[in-house]
Amino acid sequence: MSQILELSDAKSKGFFGRAGTVIGRRTEGRGIALLSVILVIVALTEPLVFSAYSVTLGRIALIGIVALGLTAVILMGELDLSVASTLALSGVVMASIPELWLGILAALATGLIVGLINAFFVSVVGINSFIATLGMLFALRGLAFVISDEAPVSLVNKEAGISFGEPLIGPITPRVLIFILVFIAIQIFVSKAQAGREFFAVGGNRQAARDAGIPVTRRIVTGFMISGFVAALAGIINSLERTTADPTAGSTVLLTAFAAAIIGGNYLKGGRGSIVGTLIGAAALGVLQVALTISGVQVPVQQIFIGAILLIAVTTDPNSLRSVRGSIRTLRQGRAKNSVTT
Amino acid sequence: MVTAESEFGPVLIEADAITKSFGGAVAVDNVSISVRAGEIYGLVGENGAGKSTLMRVLAGILSPDQGEVRVDGKPVQPGARAAISAGISLVHQELSLVPEMTVAENILLGSFPTKVGFTEYRKLRQIAADALAEIGVGVDLDERVGRLSVALRQFVEIARAVAKKPRILIFDEPTATLTPAETDYLLAMLRRLADGGMAIIYISHRIPEIFSTCSTVAILRDGKLVRSSSIDSLTPSQVVDQMVGRELGLDLATKRTATPGAVVLDAQGITAPKVNNVSVQVRSGEIVGLGGLVGAGRSELVRAIIGADDRTAGSVTLTHNGETITIGSYQSAVRNGVAYVPEERRIDGLALSMSVEDNIRLPNRKELSVAGFKVGSKTAQVAQLLADKVGLRPPEIRRDVGEYSGGNQQKVVLAKWLGRRPKFIVLDEPTRGVDVGAKAEIHRLVKEIADQGTAVLIVSSDLPELLELSDTIHVMRDGHVTGTLSKEEASEKSVMSLASGETIVRSS
Ligand SMILES: Nc1ncnc2c1ncn2[C@@H]1O[C@H](COP(=O)(O)OP(=O)(O)OP(=O)(O)O)[C@@H](O)[C@H]1O
Ligand SMILES: [Mg+2]
Repeated sequence: MSQILELSDAKSKGFFGRAGTVIGRRTEGRGIALLSVILVIVALTEPLVFSAYSVTLGRIALIGIVALGLTAVILMGELDLSVASTLALSGVVMASIPELWLGILAALATGLIVGLINAFFVSVVGINSFIATLGMLFALRGLAFVISDEAPVSLVNKEAGISFGEPLIGPITPRVLIFILVFIAIQIFVSKAQAGREFFAVGGNRQAARDAGIPVTRRIVTGFMISGFVAALAGIINSLERTTADPTAGSTVLLTAFAAAIIGGNYLKGGRGSIVGTLIGAAALGVLQVALTISGVQVPVQQIFIGAILLIAVTTDPNSLRSVRGSIRTLRQGRAKNSVTT
Repeated sequence: MVTAESEFGPVLIEADAITKSFGGAVAVDNVSISVRAGEIYGLVGENGAGKSTLMRVLAGILSPDQGEVRVDGKPVQPGARAAISAGISLVHQELSLVPEMTVAENILLGSFPTKVGFTEYRKLRQIAADALAEIGVGVDLDERVGRLSVALRQFVEIARAVAKKPRILIFDEPTATLTPAETDYLLAMLRRLADGGMAIIYISHRIPEIFSTCSTVAILRDGKLVRSSSIDSLTPSQVVDQMVGRELGLDLATKRTATPGAVVLDAQGITAPKVNNVSVQVRSGEIVGLGGLVGAGRSELVRAIIGADDRTAGSVTLTHNGETITIGSYQSAVRNGVAYVPEERRIDGLALSMSVEDNIRLPNRKELSVAGFKVGSKTAQVAQLLADKVGLRPPEIRRDVGEYSGGNQQKVVLAKWLGRRPKFIVLDEPTRGVDVGAKAEIHRLVKEIADQGTAVLIVSSDLPELLELSDTIHVMRDGHVTGTLSKEEASEKSVMSLASGETIVRSS
């Protein structure tokens, strides 16, 4: 106690050093940069995107809500491909039950059960989550078709669906409101709740998490249940707004949601990322999609844009950048090798 | 110095007839030990003797096949949490931290203070700060652990164990990554904790530390307890003999045959984070040592030299058979005959879930494959040869590297690179955590490859090792080279004074 071993190199940093440390700790940097670039370009070329903000917000919410749930799983270094099918299945389940409230409850329960099954395969049976949830992706889609008899199911209570599409205040439709609430809930959970914060440990160094006595299996169950629950919410929102539940719904949402999470700085290997990042990623993609749609760009071409943005986001990662610089040096050095010096 | 047994308190922890095997191989065989309050209990044994396994059983991470662990005479329930609440805390041999989380979060990992499920960050930081203060280490609570040096991470790991307010504290080779000064500091800390009534189990390959600190020593060999007695009744050489179970030819110290030839590696004006304008040359057949304290920038320097990290200034060339090439990226360095054994092997050097054979094959892909396909028999042969050469125990190349003990994993990394006959090899702390016998063996290997004409650059915080191996020693401090010593000039004193910046005493 008398003696203090001063090993820290971060001790005498000034304000900028400290700020640098804080910024260096964040993962959303590239997401923010990309979003700003997109916003500037869109503001110059297609300002309609901002006057039609209710459309834009709706789009962001659509992409974002599934992405937020996915992020919970991605933080632990796992994947959940089944979200798209969960979305469809829960919609169909809801529409098949005449009483609206019962239907909604059943749909949410479906999402939770799917999450449980996913987690069972991943953490108890020990199947790689890519494979386990890929299996669920097919199985649940099939189940949705079986329940719906391979055709869209109309809501019994159509009025509820129509009023659900109406804005509550300003541009805030129930969809946007739910999205905001989900964001706040998951954000608080992940950054403040003990269990949520431990997701980072499970993803960052699973052995260390186990050694520290963190109930890793329970955390994985929680993660998959969040992702299943949120996917079910998205399914409910979708079906209510359209007043029908389509068993084919959600197939494009999956990849866009992944893209949003990745652009937002979440590492697929886990342990690093944030919910705010996902929000930013969803915003970037949402604005881009709406802008492209307004400019009359066809959907396939839009996908090329999304792909490009995704690649830009990933390759501007500091680690990737370093390896690019290394490769360039190697190329140059290959040439230097031919000119032999003595 | 050593206190009589009667001075200790009651027995705190007992391991009773513990047996633990992994798929048929018995790692711990019917071992019983007991440790009293206030006692520092030394545990020694060769790599793979079963020390870490026994400690993981005590800490509830592994459940024993037979036997039980008792605290205060009461059996401890299975599981890590139960062990922690019984007051047992383990400082792992391999760092067990989450690089993306902060220092404070890592210290309290698994036991965040909460109110209705929400983390109380104020309290968390307070407890973490207290734990760091208790061990007397100053480090930024909000820094991500991934950005800390290896030594600092070690202290974070210790703070984590201390934060649990344990009654029984287990250290699994904590000093392997530390400099002499840090080690002294740690040992003093152990004594203080023991004086406060804690029972301490201390594992180390450094026999002098055991003798200066422990009151009791237990010797494990091949999973069995061969002896447990008061430190007074043994001499260091008896301990070593009992560990190894045979007469150890410690005069393995081979004579070097080659005289250094032409300059192979020429690094000029290297500047990188933590490295300031350093130039190093290594000749063929020469072993150049880099001395200094942990954090002096030695690892950063070698990483910048081989292109594993970016450098902001400086040039590096590699000359072989009259042909000079510039080293840019790490890939090109490896392609041109550079080998690198990193400091943090578990992260940088090994694929733990792959077999020893496959790990050895990784850098030797070209040599060991035909048209891109792996040639089984050839790989197996070469891998076996190399495994034998570094003294892997047991020498089973089909086993996953992750199943080997810490010291043996070390040997796999070495084997992996030695197979290449590199032109230039960088060894960063090559014998950390390796037992005495294997260490002598590795020293012999390093000299051998130097004699075959390889240029060797070695970073070591182990002074006797640095002195024994190096033909020339550059001592670094704060990113600068503060002095260069020839073999004749180099002594523990001259290296330490250059490393710590105190008055320079030249011995020549
Ligand atoms: N998870 C595992 N699976 C299979 N075998 C294992 C596993 N862990 C340890 N072993 C084996 O158990 C034996 C004892 O290993 P242990 O790690 O306890 O040795 P150690 O005494 O700590 O050695 P070191 O000094 O190298 O750290 C070794 O033969 C090792 O290969
Ligand atoms: Mg060990």
